[in-house]
Amino acid sequence: MTVPKSPTRPTGFSVLRAGRGSFLLHRRATLVAAVLGAVLAVTAVVYLCVGESFVSPVEVVRVLSSAVGGGQPSPDEFVVGTLRMPRLVVGLLAGAAFGIAGALIQTVARNPLASPDVIGVTHGAGAATVAAMTFGLTAHTTLPYVSILGGLAAASLVYVFAWRRGLHAARFVLIGIGISVALGSLTQLLLTKGDYLVAQQAKVWLTGSLNGRGYDHALPLASILLVLTPALFWAARAQRTVSFDDDTATALGVRLGRVRLCLTALGVVLASVATSAAGPVDFVALLAPQIARRLTRTAQIPLAGSALTGALIMAVADLLARKLFSPIELPVGVLTAAVGAPYLMWLIVRTRSRFGGAA
Amino acid sequence: MTGNRLRAEGLVLTYEDRTVVDGLDLEIPDGQVTVIIGPNACGKSTLLRALGRLLKPRRGAVLLDGAELSRIPTKRVAQEIGLLPQTPVPPEGITVSELVTRGRQPHHKWWQQWTEADEKAVGEAMDRTGTGDLAERPVDELSGGQRQRAWIAMALAQDTGLLLLDEPTTYLDIAHQVEVLDLVRQLNRERGRTVVVVLHDLNQAARYADHLIAMKAGRIVAQGAPRDIITADLVREVFGLTSVVVPDPVTGGPLVVPSAPWQRG
Repeated sequence: MTVPKSPTRPTGFSVLRAGRGSFLLHRRATLVAAVLGAVLAVTAVVYLCVGESFVSPVEVVRVLSSAVGGGQPSPDEFVVGTLRMPRLVVGLLAGAAFGIAGALIQTVARNPLASPDVIGVTHGAGAATVAAMTFGLTAHTTLPYVSILGGLAAASLVYVFAWRRGLHAARFVLIGIGISVALGSLTQLLLTKGDYLVAQQAKVWLTGSLNGRGYDHALPLASILLVLTPALFWAARAQRTVSFDDDTATALGVRLGRVRLCLTALGVVLASVATSAAGPVDFVALLAPQIARRLTRTAQIPLAGSALTGALIMAVADLLARKLFSPIELPVGVLTAAVGAPYLMWLIVRTRSRFGGAA
Repeated sequence: MTGNRLRAEGLVLTYEDRTVVDGLDLEIPDGQVTVIIGPNACGKSTLLRALGRLLKPRRGAVLLDGAELSRIPTKRVAQEIGLLPQTPVPPEGITVSELVTRGRQPHHKWWQQWTEADEKAVGEAMDRTGTGDLAERPVDELSGGQRQRAWIAMALAQDTGLLLLDEPTTYLDIAHQVEVLDLVRQLNRERGRTVVVVLHDLNQAARYADHLIAMKAGRIVAQGAPRDIITADLVREVFGLTSVVVPDPVTGGPLVVPSAPWQRG
């Protein structure tokens, strides 16, 4: 057999071989992930340094290494290790989960507008959580699951209303926005009817705040992310075919209905758990995947890149939220909304002009 | 003609409640180019979609190697039947080489996503379609003809014994139409692939088909070698067009020339 003259591999990919296994690796996406990881590490150190009192980076690194390897306890242990560290961890994990959730749902809907915060998932999770709180359920171990149920319920609701001989992306988004608003009102109603103290607590949580978040919030989030990791590898592969039109995807041997449902469910669960930990922080899930994709220039939204970008957005936003109007702390959701809302408007205007205003 | 791989029996195809094809039996001859023609809305694309399991029959069945297509796992079907829809939509910003690579998806296992067989299939598919020079270009930026060649390369990389093409010449100018059809012909001749093509143009169908299927209103009016079945009567029956059938000056096959009622005397 003659050797083909044409390239035998996709441009920009390297083949990774391990025993009989073989994988395609997008070089630019790998590089971007490495750079994002490095930027994230630096941001994390800065995050731990900055606050009401400044702790030098050297001291931060010492606290971190003593936490890992024992050694001399640092005098800054309390500020860095007890006050700032848990909050940072929750922020990073929630940001990563939001980023992946956005990437998955935008992929399935083939629409950059369709992120879990726009289509009602986070609001569903929020409403369910507030309802649970109003009825006296405040355990950090249970709330994430209540949140997941709320997110799934909202997603199913959107699905049922948007389904009309198939799922049209624009209708999906519009109905999602409608459901979001309805669920927002429901949440407000619960707040007015409920106990004053609970309402106070829930209100702060609802703007998306990392204030007072501890490891007990991080634990459910971390374990669910860990458990879902194999599913995410599957999802990254499924993304390659789902990003075609329905007929082409089916012709390539994809059980489209089932794959879409699984990807959506995965995204909804991740967004809901992140919401439970950090509150319904808006726009991280909307922004992160699109930024990541522009960086990697891949043909589908990169999951690792979205996770890292989401985590970075959360860390930077919360850093600014803590420091910008110091000593007053803003909820991180206010910061992400300040950046995200104009982007959303721009996206809607652009989508309208591209599709001639048809929805 | 028994023993052909792809057959349909008592096929009833509907969209919503509208019956498009009602009780159709069909065999696709192995190793030949079959062209399906017919007027708009005669059900030819619908039939092709059913042959490629994109549309589930209301009644009857499409059989692949004697097994009901809808009962074979879709990934297994994708290893045997390649299908190119009329207007496929590529993932945003995808390059030609990556698009062609996606054709290998049905052959991958989760731990083996790139093997030597993949390299060979992709390289050959790009060689055959002349898309090697376009490898790094985004599909969105290609001309119509180049884009169509890239899609065909993807379908070829899938390396299936059967290839179904739904109007692969739509939106192409005449030179690119001929180019694409020559390519299809060549694939069939050199690799013995069974090809089924839906075409609009009767004369192209006559030239490129080994086996021609003429459809009207969801049923088969005539089928066979173009020389045997294309007559002025058939053209009138299928398309409602008066014409003269003359020998094609290039191939000697039938050439349909529409008559000109406005030019009398």
